Amino acid sequence: MVTTESPGGVRHREEHHRGERHGPDRGVRPDRAGHGAETWASGWQPLAGAALLARLRVTGRARPVADPVLVADLRAHVEAAAGVADARVVGLDASPVGPIGAPITVTKDRLTRALACVDHATRERAGRREFSMPLACGALVDVLFRQLVSTGSIGVAMDDALDALGIDERQAPLLEWIASLAAAERSELRAEVDRQAEGLRQRWPALDPAWLPRTQECLRVPVAGGGIELLARVDLAIGRPGGAEATVALVDVSSGSRRAVHRADRQFHALVETLRAAVPPFAVATYYARTGELDVDPVTPDVLVAAARRCRVGTEALVAPGSEQRSVDRGRSWCAACADSPLGTAEPVASTSCERPSVPPVTAPLSIGEARWSPAGAAGRSTDDGALPFLEGRAA
Amino acid sequence: MSPAAVRENRGSQVVDGDPTDGHTGLARVRDRLVDGITAAVQHLPAGELVEVTLPLLRRAATHPATVGQDDGPFAWKPVFARRSLGLAAVQACAEGRFRGPAEAVGPLAAHAVDEWRRTGWRTFHWEPWFAGLGAGARAAVLAEAATWASPLWASADWCALRGRSRIGGTDDLWTCPGPRTVRLKGRCEARVAATTAAGPGDGPGTPGPALVSVSCGIPRADWAAELAYLALVAALRDPDQPVPARVVGLWPEAGMRRTAEIDEHLLADSADRVIGAVGLVARAHVGTDGDGGGPVDAPRA
Repeated sequence: MVTTESPGGVRHREEHHRGERHGPDRGVRPDRAGHGAETWASGWQPLAGAALLARLRVTGRARPVADPVLVADLRAHVEAAAGVADARVVGLDASPVGPIGAPITVTKDRLTRALACVDHATRERAGRREFSMPLACGALVDVLFRQLVSTGSIGVAMDDALDALGIDERQAPLLEWIASLAAAERSELRAEVDRQAEGLRQRWPALDPAWLPRTQECLRVPVAGGGIELLARVDLAIGRPGGAEATVALVDVSSGSRRAVHRADRQFHALVETLRAAVPPFAVATYYARTGELDVDPVTPDVLVAAARRCRVGTEALVAPGSEQRSVDRGRSWCAACADSPLGTAEPVASTSCERPSVPPVTAPLSIGEARWSPAGAAGRSTDDGALPFLEGRAA
Repeated sequence: MSPAAVRENRGSQVVDGDPTDGHTGLARVRDRLVDGITAAVQHLPAGELVEVTLPLLRRAATHPATVGQDDGPFAWKPVFARRSLGLAAVQACAEGRFRGPAEAVGPLAAHAVDEWRRTGWRTFHWEPWFAGLGAGARAAVLAEAATWASPLWASADWCALRGRSRIGGTDDLWTCPGPRTVRLKGRCEARVAATTAAGPGDGPGTPGPALVSVSCGIPRADWAAELAYLALVAALRDPDQPVPARVVGLWPEAGMRRTAEIDEHLLADSADRVIGAVGLVARAHVGTDGDGGGPVDAPRA
């Protein structure tokens, strides 16, 4: 589950990205409170039922096939951060990521924090989480989505959601926080949860059980001999795993607004699933329960390489000594908050003030994989040395 | 354990090839185990019970200081119910009653609760707890079970294995002879009989079955010995039956499947780990008795 706190949401940043999206026209947004967005001024309406599924299943591209060379390259690229990890594991660095000797767990949120520029850097806080209305709404909608997928129905949304959270001991502090809300706040939360639950009911069709729908599926990939663990949890995975051709799609559900970082999150999920299963998912998507928007990224070697590079840089930032200084050096090139801010850049761009991170290009085998997967989209991208030039440009 | 005795694979078949003869000096391993356990528990007070499980072996290997500590009172939660319900779902799918675990878990849970209400019989033990949950919580339990069962269901063509596979079933138990009660409990998710020229069989002289085990997380370095523990307990329980030829471990979260080909070395390695874990538990008990308080692992006599 993804929650966002962006007041109005940043709806159109991703038009600059290569991801495919289904959402309202530029400049059209729900009312100020973010409610009542069923029908937009442009006439756009959220996909529902079979159309929603078709949008998810039919990406317009050939489905990826198993490519052991590409997978090995991706793994090697991520493991290049392992030198730093090894140093920490033997006690050379007292990084706060985890106990010395334990694997360094890399999640999408940790990557985002680690890659924040100095202006947006926030420290990971250990201990008690700080709760907010968006976070609570996200957790509640999360379990309701799971309920809908599992049983096909949602009763009294708030009650069902609190029930579900109630049997998860890890959610006890959140439940306490919700219980402590003032009546007006609690009523506001209930109204938003009801509204989003109604949207889920109306739009999400029953999923064929033969597709093996899995909710809250945990994906783990040990790399660098177990020194690093990539960890992701997806709200929905559909498709029977295994086989030589991609059959799995991953969906994350967000109760908040669209943000640029969600695309990076999707790519991270694609990377982890590819390394885990040795076959990429054919699509990664974010579903916005608040508006019904659905962003779908077909998974291509380009997507996976971009994710591997970001994962490597982020992992190094997580574990390297003096990572705060490195955050200055990285400038805004990977910062999700910069991409979301009104004056920020939607994509990393080269500038004289931002030092280019020292990430070597991923070479030949990846362009081989690209040619194999994406006959329509890969032509002319290879350089003389076989690298994929766009990634270097974006990473600058 | 010889390197050739284990292998890592990622294909779609859980059971492949012809299992080899599983009789690999089980009697020697059993003697070694009995001697080792007897020595380890010699100072344990009479009447103490030590139960060895795979989680205990893992804890002994990773956090030995916590062995013997009280885990607190038991309370049902989705993660405890998912295995039994998930296994029933896979079995029902293999019988062709449902198209996937997500479709199976709801009716199976409802049927179990109905039966419990009608007869008092608990198929899964968690029926009263499940029946008392609200709709949202019940849905969370079903979702957890379906998600747990789906990788197992997808790991093999269970329909094709009907007649030679048993999904779920009772735990394997073996009690070590001696003045103190030390019980080994093995829990595998499925058991597949080997095929011979004469067809599937499990009598004397036939190759041993394959066991399938599902675990969370990522396989540890000693995954082969962990898997062999399941074969060890199964073989000790039924010494007249063939020793399991292999144990297939699934780690769905990591997308890994590894196979331990069972031989005497691997069984002996596993037996040594059992002896070590029992020793840890015994020391924890004795230490507790000595200082008058602290952790305990099993009910006192």
